[in-house]
Amino acid sequence: MTKSIQVFDPAMCCSSGVCGTEVDQSLVSFSADADWAKTNGAQIERFNLAQQPMDFANNKVVRDFLERSGQDALPLILVDGEFALAGRYPSRTELARWAGLTSVVEIQPLTSCCSGGKCC
Amino acid sequence: MQFLDQPPRFLFFTGKGGVGKTSIACATAIQLAENGKHVLLVSTDPASNVGQVFGISIGNHITAVPAVPNLAALEIDPQAAAQVYRDRIVGPVRGILPDDVVRGIEEQLSGACTTEIAAFDEFTALLIDSPVTDDYDHIIFDTAPTGHTIRLLQLPGAWSGFLEEGKGDASCLGPLSGLEKQREQYKAAVDALADGKRTRLILVARAQQSTLREVARTHEELAGIGLKQQYLVINGILPKIEAETDRLAAAIYQREQSSLNAIPEVLKQLPRDLVALKAFDLVGLDALRQLLIDSPYQVHEVSDLLVEVSKQSLSQLVDGIAKEGHGLVMTMGKGGVGKTTIAAAVAVELASRGLPVHLTTSDPAAHLSGTLSGSLDNLTVSRIDPHEETERYRQNVLDSKGAQLDAHGRALLEEDLRSPCTEEIAVFQAFSRIIREAGKKFVVMDTAPTGHTLLLLDATGAYHREVARQMDKAHLHYTTPMMQLQDPKQTKILIVTLAEKTPVLEAANLQEDLRRAGIEPWAWVINNSIAATKTTSALLHQRALNELVEINTVAKQLAKRYALVPMLQDEPVGVERLHELASG
Repeated sequence: MTKSIQVFDPAMCCSSGVCGTEVDQSLVSFSADADWAKTNGAQIERFNLAQQPMDFANNKVVRDFLERSGQDALPLILVDGEFALAGRYPSRTELARWAGLTSVVEIQPLTSCCSGGKCC
Repeated sequence: MQFLDQPPRFLFFTGKGGVGKTSIACATAIQLAENGKHVLLVSTDPASNVGQVFGISIGNHITAVPAVPNLAALEIDPQAAAQVYRDRIVGPVRGILPDDVVRGIEEQLSGACTTEIAAFDEFTALLIDSPVTDDYDHIIFDTAPTGHTIRLLQLPGAWSGFLEEGKGDASCLGPLSGLEKQREQYKAAVDALADGKRTRLILVARAQQSTLREVARTHEELAGIGLKQQYLVINGILPKIEAETDRLAAAIYQREQSSLNAIPEVLKQLPRDLVALKAFDLVGLDALRQLLIDSPYQVHEVSDLLVEVSKQSLSQLVDGIAKEGHGLVMTMGKGGVGKTTIAAAVAVELASRGLPVHLTTSDPAAHLSGTLSGSLDNLTVSRIDPHEETERYRQNVLDSKGAQLDAHGRALLEEDLRSPCTEEIAVFQAFSRIIREAGKKFVVMDTAPTGHTLLLLDATGAYHREVARQMDKAHLHYTTPMMQLQDPKQTKILIVTLAEKTPVLEAANLQEDLRRAGIEPWAWVINNSIAATKTTSALLHQRALNELVEINTVAKQLAKRYALVPMLQDEPVGVERLHELASG
């Protein structure tokens, strides 16, 4: 049974982040990584706060997280409904681990040279 | 009129605000209805005055027009549609999610993308077979201005691909998830648009070089997405007879005729109709029936009403700007209102008072900036090409941020970089390099980002506020770019408009948008005013009288301060003529 990964994005115009002054490298990389993981059979859903706020409000984990830490602490990633990561986007390796795609990961190159897209 | 010859079921009129789309669409609707056809007239113009034209109130549902049998009308207000959409998204979470989160969502949904998508959603239902539309032989759309229209019509093509492939990540298509309509409906709408047997596109223009250039671009872009059935209507042409008695009228006539002779190559192949300038306001059935009939203007009686306008010259406005000794001046307004000319005139005025000025424009023809280079000692001129800047920006992002991506990821990023926000951001980045100079001299530019973009660019606003708080504690001096734009001492925004109904309304919307970003426009400039001239042409005199209502609205309700710039006999090119323009 594949685990379901849910990504709760901050309010933004587009999920690749190209609409800001500075294009956010971590968003660009994550969009590609998420796309890659989906192609390999992972179950990933993304929710944009500006477009699907009901999904934030209806989920107790997410709602409590927003009240406690505010929207600046997004993104929030849940795996099978449980807290997995917050404050940064996961790397391809992390996505693969959650989705159980270990065999694929070994033969696929990583898109970013480091996890989380914060360095380089 | 060729565009009325064997018309298909759907007729779209497009062109920028103020060219007379609404009037021509109404006149077409009347003519077809009076020939026994069942006609539905749809307006998506935010400044719709279709109701006013027929003397009834219409609104967001199909309403029969009592005075014209067989005719019904519908007004889609894009702003209202966007508001409904916002409420649908935000309403249910209000009070559940924290207040600042709800405010953040609302700002994200206040952009042009949302407005267009919501309006498109409303009118897509009219393009498919349904019990609501089956009764109509013709459905006539008086669409929103050019830029809007292009994206509005381009989107459905992108959307059906998006929906079929289920690629959930493409940027501006996101809001689609909140809309109710089904993919079959969007697909059917796209098919109808691209089918020449069902759809005809009528490009409406004026006999002005810049307008014709813009229409040529629209033509190419729309033909590129499959709308090949296009006609051209050039509206408001000054009749030759007026040119015989009045110098201004003669100059206008000359200018119009030469721009018609120099019409862009791509437009030459289109079937073309010319509509003469009328003296009367195009309100009421009789006026509209006459619009498409080529009758010469009859002077029943020469009006002896005096055109009285208080003379507020651009030069007087510049006095106020010059006081600070340096700063940023931005002209803002829709395409074709004369932003570049006004920016150039302000720059020349400042420079001839001995102040250092850098004028930077996105003037596509470059002839204006070309003639000013080196003409005044303390005036430097530079030019930014929006298309080049956007291309460079795209390439730059792809090369840097997209460097690590595989082919599929790159394609995804490229798709997102085609969003309408990209050009505005790219151009603004190019300008912001120059803005920094405004601390020492005057920087005058003919473009400014919209309030919505400023707010998105200031996504780090929270960070700025935090910096500000700490700096205040430490009594340190600091500024952020957003603060520079919000401070009227450092930045003066001039809203440029024409003394006509739709352009004034569009300018008022721009002002609201800026206020949302905490920026108060410093002044308004009413450009190309006939009321500010001493014309003796009977037709032009009547037009001047019509302008007074709009000038009044700007002066009394919209502007903190304003200037009235007369229509000139000669194109305002070069230092001398720009001086003449500024002094009124």
